[in-house]
Amino acid sequence: MSGDEKPAAAPRSLAEALRARDDASLAALLRARPDLITPVPTDLTQLATRAGTRASVVRALERLDRFALQTAEALAVAGDPAPYGELLALMAGDDRDPETAAALPHALGALREQALVWGDKDRLRLVRTARELLAPSPQHPSPTGLGPTVQEAASGMSPGRVQEIVAAAGLPSTHDAVSAVTALTALFTDRARMSELLADVPADSLQVLDRLVWGPPYGQVTADPAPRLRLLLDRGLLLPTAPGTVVLPREVALHLRAGRAHRTPEPVPPAVTASAAHPAPVVDATAAGQAYTALATVEELLKDWDEGGPNVLRAGGLSVRDLKRTAVALDLPEPVAAFWVELAYAAGLLASDGEADERYAATPAYDDWRELPPADRWARLARAWLAATRTPGVIGDRDAKDRTLSALGPGLDRSAAPEVRHRVLSLLAALPEGGAPDAESVLARLRWERPLRGPRRDGEHDLRARLARWTLSEAELLGVTGRGALSAHGRALLGAPPAPAAGHAADDVPAGPGDKLPVHRHRPPRPAGDPHGPAPLTPAEQADATAAAARLLAPLLPEPLDHVLLQADLTAVAPGPLRRPLADVLGVLADVESKGGATVYRFTPASVRRALDAGRGAADLHAFLAEHSRTPVPQPLAYLIDDVARRHGHLRVGAASAYVRCDDDSVLNEILADKRSAGLGLRRLAPTVLAAQSDPGALLEGLRALGYAPAAESAAGDVLIARADSHRTPPRTAPEPVPDGPPAPDGTLLSAAMRAIRAGDLAATAPRRPPADAPPADDGALPRTSAAETLATVQAAVLTGEAVWIGYVNADGAASQRVIAPVRVEGGFVTAYDHTADEVRTYPLHRITGVAELAEEAAADPS
Amino acid sequence: MNGPLIVQSDKTLLLEVDHEQADDCRRAIAPFAELERAPEHIHTYRVTPLGLWNARAAGHDAEQVVDALVLYSRYPVPHALLVDIAETMDRYGRLTLSKHPAHGLVLTTTDRPVLEEVLKSKRVAPLVGERIDPDTVAVHPSERGQIKQTLLKLGWPAEDLAGYVDGEAHPIDLREDGWTLRPYQKQAVENFWHGGSGVVVLPCGAGKTLVGAGSMAQAKSTTLILVTNTVSARQWKHELVKRTSLTEDEIGEYSGTKKEIRPVTIATYQVLTTRRKGVYPHLELFDSRDWGLIVYDEVHLLPAPVFKFTADLQARRRLGLTATLVREDGRESDVFSLIGPKRFDAPWKEIEAQGYIAPADCVEVRVNLTDAERLAYATAETEEKYRFCATTATKRKVTEAIVRRFAGQQILVIGQYIDQLDELGEHLDAPVIKGETSNTQREKLFDAFREGEINVLVVSKVANFSIDLPEATVAVQVSGTFGSRQEEAQRLGRVLRPKADGHQAHFYSVVARDTIDQDFAAHRQRFLAEQGYAYRIMDADELLAGEA
Repeated sequence: MSGDEKPAAAPRSLAEALRARDDASLAALLRARPDLITPVPTDLTQLATRAGTRASVVRALERLDRFALQTAEALAVAGDPAPYGELLALMAGDDRDPETAAALPHALGALREQALVWGDKDRLRLVRTARELLAPSPQHPSPTGLGPTVQEAASGMSPGRVQEIVAAAGLPSTHDAVSAVTALTALFTDRARMSELLADVPADSLQVLDRLVWGPPYGQVTADPAPRLRLLLDRGLLLPTAPGTVVLPREVALHLRAGRAHRTPEPVPPAVTASAAHPAPVVDATAAGQAYTALATVEELLKDWDEGGPNVLRAGGLSVRDLKRTAVALDLPEPVAAFWVELAYAAGLLASDGEADERYAATPAYDDWRELPPADRWARLARAWLAATRTPGVIGDRDAKDRTLSALGPGLDRSAAPEVRHRVLSLLAALPEGGAPDAESVLARLRWERPLRGPRRDGEHDLRARLARWTLSEAELLGVTGRGALSAHGRALLGAPPAPAAGHAADDVPAGPGDKLPVHRHRPPRPAGDPHGPAPLTPAEQADATAAAARLLAPLLPEPLDHVLLQADLTAVAPGPLRRPLADVLGVLADVESKGGATVYRFTPASVRRALDAGRGAADLHAFLAEHSRTPVPQPLAYLIDDVARRHGHLRVGAASAYVRCDDDSVLNEILADKRSAGLGLRRLAPTVLAAQSDPGALLEGLRALGYAPAAESAAGDVLIARADSHRTPPRTAPEPVPDGPPAPDGTLLSAAMRAIRAGDLAATAPRRPPADAPPADDGALPRTSAAETLATVQAAVLTGEAVWIGYVNADGAASQRVIAPVRVEGGFVTAYDHTADEVRTYPLHRITGVAELAEEAAADPS
Repeated sequence: MNGPLIVQSDKTLLLEVDHEQADDCRRAIAPFAELERAPEHIHTYRVTPLGLWNARAAGHDAEQVVDALVLYSRYPVPHALLVDIAETMDRYGRLTLSKHPAHGLVLTTTDRPVLEEVLKSKRVAPLVGERIDPDTVAVHPSERGQIKQTLLKLGWPAEDLAGYVDGEAHPIDLREDGWTLRPYQKQAVENFWHGGSGVVVLPCGAGKTLVGAGSMAQAKSTTLILVTNTVSARQWKHELVKRTSLTEDEIGEYSGTKKEIRPVTIATYQVLTTRRKGVYPHLELFDSRDWGLIVYDEVHLLPAPVFKFTADLQARRRLGLTATLVREDGRESDVFSLIGPKRFDAPWKEIEAQGYIAPADCVEVRVNLTDAERLAYATAETEEKYRFCATTATKRKVTEAIVRRFAGQQILVIGQYIDQLDELGEHLDAPVIKGETSNTQREKLFDAFREGEINVLVVSKVANFSIDLPEATVAVQVSGTFGSRQEEAQRLGRVLRPKADGHQAHFYSVVARDTIDQDFAAHRQRFLAEQGYAYRIMDADELLAGEA
């Protein structure tokens, strides 16, 4: 682009090309490749250098859509630099496919913008790193399936062989190999002459070429090739690369492919098709119904966890058992339950309480959230969902360390999630109103937009496709979509404008109408694979979009009711959502039997008792039911409440530490009347029984102090004979005796010790021959010899198999004397049997201070 | 957005009966949803795979089902539920059982992977023969029932198009002199005949016998009728002689006492399931004639061995009659696969509204145990507890009071424990019918009761099924077979036959308070309460005081 604008000064490097770009264009580059400004480069040269680094180029290539990538791949096999015409021929073929030709300038523009391509129209250059990454080599076959050029393939051939080929191809012989290769290349790239050449080739040889033409271009041949291969080899239509391997030169392949670098260029993104279309009101109503269910589910989840949720696993997260239990409580499949748990977490409604015994619980934000109007509550959830990187879908997968990923646990973040989510919903938004997408077409489109982020990455099973599928199902669960189609409030949430009118579906061009790119784009709209698609909304825009979504949703949500229908089979049906206080009370008074649009409650004796336990009286309950029932309270229900209330509290239970009983109730009267008994916490339960809050011992003391003579009673009611208990410790072992010296050694220990001592002794005292050219060392001192002598002596010892005496300094600098029988000397190390340590050891030669042969008799001795 | 139907997440449908569209909606959902509860304001239907396949078998498709839900639903129907319904219904008919001109009975598929899947099952393998072509496999003709049952369990119900044998022709006509089939009975016969085989669900007293007779008149072939007991067999015979062109000689009884095989034979389940030395000696009855129609009375009581025999009878038309598809043993799916899908049902209250069954006033009377009885109850062994509380002396007083209150009307006292019944019989001065009463004596007493010579009859559970006591207007239940829901329904049925003078029937259940008797009663009543029969609860003291 920049090159086109200033044809006068053709840039000579990427840096110059960047320097020539205007501010807007540079800004676009930096927006597309934010890694270039972290940290901010000092000048454009540094920026260009950074843009050429492998990591950055890989990242940029991964964000290309399929056509832009194909264009880059074509440039990688074209000349460097390549004129636009050559690129066009590679992409659109000899027949100049109009669709491809039309899309090519956009793709090239995108590559230029991302600084992957620079140079003016006649000298297009792919950044060198990109070229290296994309150009075919035997190790990394290119997606184009093209092989090396004639020049590359012929570089290893003898000049004579080259001349033979030139002759066989019917060209005049030349005086050097270089011009011969050039002539051959010229022949191969000339369509007319090439056709003539191939016309002579028999059919069976052409079949061989056909097999290689779309790649891989390499083939195996035997030492004595069949005639049909021989013919191809002779004419240079196949060139040998290594013994037994031949390759189809790039020029030949391109001729056979009619000039195309790709079998199927994909200039146009695959359209997202609608599998069904529903009337917009149905979509919105269904989505709203689901949105309400979402709110109810989250509330139910947190109500279930209200009095202390499940424990946090030590590694973080929710145990499988707790997730199962929660799923059962919510009456949902586990993956769906996991989604709601994660959603509540992402929305900040639940978290770990951080106590020593860590559990999950609702956050204070949950209480605030509950006070919001339903539509706002939903919008909060939906906004949290859009931005979340945590993906409940991977729960149950195994991480790199083969640990199962748990809900709310670590390792659930997938940074691509928000982008994919946004992209999928944008694609939905581009469908005509009420259109439910065909999931496969959405996936195909996503694959087209990010071909390099496909199934091969990370060994993970096509994460983007999985994310897209989850997005579709989660959007339905959350009520962003209804019947698979994006709802009006879902659309508002994205900040997307109203749906295109039906009939303009095919117009699903570039980046969708939700594109928020700055208006500097004076070029035609870019291909839909545009990496920054609709730019993320700013926080202010987000807030507006959220509010707009809530506004659209609010009238669709069912109005909470203040009444129920009571029936004689002891059920109550709330034909819609209930106002909260009513729902809360009814939830205590009756068991929920079925949920959905309505709620069915069943009254049972246990549920009525629960209400009575919660402090409500029978009259209170009757009044409550009468007030909220549209229908008369059925007699069996009224009877049930009275019947349970009649027995409620009939038995009383309390705690006492001790009791006093006496057959003579006047004595108990006396005790109660005595002021001194106040501290004992006595209460009369029956004429002859007092309960006390003090323990039996204190009670006995207290009563004695009052002048009575109480006797203690056992649990069975017998009189306890009071006698002081003997105090005992818990079980203890007797102390071990501590003898004066070490214990007497046993036989094994003794013999081992003896062996060690003798070996050490041998090392210290072995009679040694003094080295020939050194003064005999004092007894006990380390032998000292020169390094060369040490090496020679040790090597000699290896040959003779004799033991030698060495002085050795270990890594700590401690010196010792050892008797060793060298086995091997190599790489500066001596491997030897050490008589002193009784094992085979390795000594670095440089640590050996000196070496001396043992005296004959001593050498024979240790064995 | 203001329909009468609410779709719940557990696949139940709530229908608001007072809504103006309620009737249309009920008709739209009845083919695929099973009425589960029908109390006064909101009826509960349940959508089950079985129900959806029933609908498919009756020729409805998923689109109709989805449309019905969407059209009548008050709130938007969750998308997932609609998808699930469509997928479930789509499973029906992928496999078909049919007659192949060369290979006999074959199982064919329109979806090859499904066939591969079911053939992989160990349970299917022994039932099929050679693979005829990729989409067809031969089935041993004797395994037609077995394979249907097995495929249903695998979730791929097969559509049975193999047809029926006509059986030996025998002229049978309805003799409609002074009476005609009621509209719903006609509809039931028509639906059954059109569908080939299946089950008709009608309330007790709604004239199921006539549906049987009507179907026989359609089939005009030899018929085997299976009933629960001898009394019931006699009643069938009596009714058939009265209502059809059949004569006494054409109808045989095959029971413990008689072994007649005639063009129309009525056999009891008991005799069929009698085992001697590990074999069922009376099974040959099924093969003794070329039956064109087999009628199963009280399908919900069909004993397990009869299912097994039925599996071999898939080539014959089968009609099941019952008041409820609820089986205490949960074998509803066997009824579906072996006898056939539900072809007709009508809610009790609807038939009551049409005046074909009497309105009933159901009252539960709670009696208190005396202090001595409470102590005895508390210390009784678990298995004895019910007996202790069910036979409390207070119940006798209450029963007497009720009998006094309805003096002059036809009153049945029904109970479980013979001692209690004997004692009641003595105090009420009424005859007692129990297991040891001979059949002749029973019929004599029933006749006397019918004629009004006796007003009060005390019966044990032998009279549970199919006895026809047209003039009973009051039933008092003092004890029952623990928590059996269908027994309660049967007993209520005793008083539901329309009364000549059109007055209300009364059903009293006397229950001991705060005991397991009360728990059992609650369980027993649940079915009826769900059918819309609301029980009033009364204290015994109230009742006794009222009469004083």
